[in-house]
Amino acid sequence: MSEKVAIIAANGGLFDAYKVFNIATAAAASEKEVQIFFTFEGLNLIHKQGMHQLEMPAGKEHFAEGFKKANTPTIPELVEMAQELGVKFIACQMTMDVMGLTKEDFVDGIEVGGAVTFIEFAKEAAPTLTF
Amino acid sequence: MIKANHHLDAKGLACPMPVVKTKNAIKDLEEGLVLEVQATDKGSKADLTAWASSVGHQYLGTVEEADVLYHYIRKGSNEPKVEKAFGQNISLEELESRDGLILDVREAAEYAFGHIEGAKSIPMGELESRMQELDKDEEIYVICRTGNRSDLAAQLLADNGFKNVYNVLSGMNEWNGKTTKDF
Repeated sequence: MSEKVAIIAANGGLFDAYKVFNIATAAAASEKEVQIFFTFEGLNLIHKQGMHQLEMPAGKEHFAEGFKKANTPTIPELVEMAQELGVKFIACQMTMDVMGLTKEDFVDGIEVGGAVTFIEFAKEAAPTLTF
Repeated sequence: MIKANHHLDAKGLACPMPVVKTKNAIKDLEEGLVLEVQATDKGSKADLTAWASSVGHQYLGTVEEADVLYHYIRKGSNEPKVEKAFGQNISLEELESRDGLILDVREAAEYAFGHIEGAKSIPMGELESRMQELDKDEEIYVICRTGNRSDLAAQLLADNGFKNVYNVLSGMNEWNGKTTKDF
């Protein structure tokens, strides 16, 4: 079995964030090497301000109460935890250029790279997940 | 309540927190000792079972009490190395026809989740200080999970004047007979 898990985060909503970071932290806690490639709206998930105000899908806002009741960690908490567990974040250079973002707009400790950087890691990873 | 060496309170936390906290807590635990994880997340049983087997720990079992799940995990799955085997062994089949005392030297939580009826529990780490609970002239059959801890325990007993000591091979791992739970 592969010891690497590769995740592509291409969407920027709150649900997307939970899918990405729950799987990432669970995999890292199971001693897998984990990398997440953030691209397009996915960059929201590690954006210093953006990650505090991720939106729910339209019409699903009532789930806010459910999140509170289930006592789920917040996204900034999950981001920190993932980094503590050694999950590597890669922000997509091309998307950052398109959106006019720089490395300083994101949480500390990320790497910036292109698709090849990620593919290099993902070629040995099983599974590769896309959210 | 089942005895553990370390307790982790993960009550009220949702996935993936119980697993993440367990990973952090078990880091500080000595190999072979038992961690109790208290959780209310209903998925934590399946998660911790899978996690333990994927990371290489021994998931012992779960007890539910008043909506709290108590999970028991023993760190690592390696048994101690036996330099020089004890020599006086007995198989599980032979054991069934013998009288005498079965001494189970696994951790208390391992014993609690399944042992041979009538077996006495003294974890390997406590054997030296609790030896006086045993009768030097009685036949003693020492058992553990795989036969390694019991080998060391049998040697320790023999060195201390116990005359009729046997190491049961291979251990509870291979035992297909009835077991009793203790909680």
